[in-house]
Amino acid sequence: MAAPAILITAFVVIGGMATALAQSLGLFPLVGPPSLTVAAYAAQASDLPVGIGLSLAIAAASTVVACLVGFTAALVIVQGRWCGKLVAALGTLTVPVPHIVGAASVSLLLADSGLLARLFNAGGSWPELVGGPWWIGVVAEYGWKESAFVALVVTGTLATRAVSYDETAALLGAGRLSRLRHVLLPLSLPTLTVSATIIFVYSLGSYEVAWLLGRAYPEPLPVMALRLFNAATLTARPEAAAVAIVTTLLSFGAVAAALAYLRRSTLWR
Amino acid sequence: MALTLPPDSRTPLSWPVRPGNGLRASHGIARTLRVLLALALALWLVLPLVPLALWAFADRWSFPAVLPQAWGWGGVRAALAQGAVPAFGRSLLLGLLVSAVATPLGVLAARALAYRRVPLAPAVNVLLFAPLALPAFVAALGLNVLLLRVQVPPFAGVVLLLTVYALPYTSYTMRVAYGAHDLAVEEEARLLGASAWQVMWRVQLPLLAPALARAAFLAFLVGWSDYVITVLVGGGTIVTVPLLVAAAAAGTGNDATVALLSAAALLPPLVLLLVLGLFGRRPRSHQTNGDVK
Repeated sequence: MAAPAILITAFVVIGGMATALAQSLGLFPLVGPPSLTVAAYAAQASDLPVGIGLSLAIAAASTVVACLVGFTAALVIVQGRWCGKLVAALGTLTVPVPHIVGAASVSLLLADSGLLARLFNAGGSWPELVGGPWWIGVVAEYGWKESAFVALVVTGTLATRAVSYDETAALLGAGRLSRLRHVLLPLSLPTLTVSATIIFVYSLGSYEVAWLLGRAYPEPLPVMALRLFNAATLTARPEAAAVAIVTTLLSFGAVAAALAYLRRSTLWR
Repeated sequence: MALTLPPDSRTPLSWPVRPGNGLRASHGIARTLRVLLALALALWLVLPLVPLALWAFADRWSFPAVLPQAWGWGGVRAALAQGAVPAFGRSLLLGLLVSAVATPLGVLAARALAYRRVPLAPAVNVLLFAPLALPAFVAALGLNVLLLRVQVPPFAGVVLLLTVYALPYTSYTMRVAYGAHDLAVEEEARLLGASAWQVMWRVQLPLLAPALARAAFLAFLVGWSDYVITVLVGGGTIVTVPLLVAAAAAGTGNDATVALLSAAALLPPLVLLLVLGLFGRRPRSHQTNGDVK
């Protein structure tokens, strides 16, 4: 019964990677005979390290922001009462916002003629948050959207088990901080690790936010790949595929590292 | 991955958060700090969407002004002129088709996995979750050539890829639901003379309805929100709402159009979310029983 799902997933995942790999190695040329070559990788050898570094940095920064804010929000939600319900409701409303809409809205908020610049009446002194050298807008968008994701997922974990443990600890005289350190944090750590991996991999391989809120150079890997893919020159397609393969390797590497960490830690059952 | 969604069986809009007793309640300064923290988080979640509300009906809002100077329907007219209505229809169709394909396939896979009827189950699990690790643009960029050569229509290709990117969510949601589903109820119905068909429609479906609704909603979101697969596999011929938003946002001077298209893109997911929150809950008794697990 699982066959249809397995077949189409295998076609898209394995087929997609295989065709991308074949294109990057020159086996699927637009014109001319196929020939095995690493020319596509060599052609982008100078830009690839910059792209890899930038993509990893954006993904890491977004993950840290999302996990910190999201975990705090989950703690507030689990406390219940009206403020917990308010944060929970707003988090639920944030999750289904498409990323391209989030990016467009963050641009209207943070750009140098955006809402915040108007509110603080900054004039010409507003920092370059959108399209600036520090990719603040991009990290803010991922951090915002994914913090809601973390909040809901961690709440799901904590809500079933944490309350009773937390109450027991409180009854035995544990203070607020020691309860956070010895009860709530250990209970949410596996879920937090899984969500952090998902966010890292997503922001590493996602195109539209970095394209809309980023700057022209240097480029994160997905932006670089799509620019090359749409370029007019015939040699650019294999180069786009090469960038895609590099992104895939980074993404799978991150997942493998996270799984290895989860297996090693005693938290994973 | 095409989107990050919490495929948790309890979300959205229904948390079994017990009110608890006074043991963990905060008092005095701690309570004030907690309320302030909650308000700060609420602001963090809401603020990025505020410009949409202000810009959507602003006809004139030149730079230093904090609020729009003239309200009107300029954004609406511009959005309609750019084909917002057909794009809305196309997005809706895409979301519904992805949902209609990915939900049943996810149900079948989840049922087979939950009742151990799948050979090599660990490998199948890894494969079904693999779309979460493979960036969507890689699959789209790689398969684009193949789909063109075997002449798959662009729209079918987009639906195929998005279905695969929705499957981790539908199969996981249903897997959790089947994990809590009691087969004895089905057997009892069979024992009392129900046909296999009746068991499916009268027993299985009502019991799994909340999870089914969530799975279908998540799959709809994957189709509704997608940008990069629609652009690459659709080759620019399938203009959906996200594509219009991107095109408008990449230009300058049409902030009202961007805001209005974005607000339009938020409506269907939010309406479905409310419907799900109102009708998609389990009865109360099930929720309290859930604590025992």
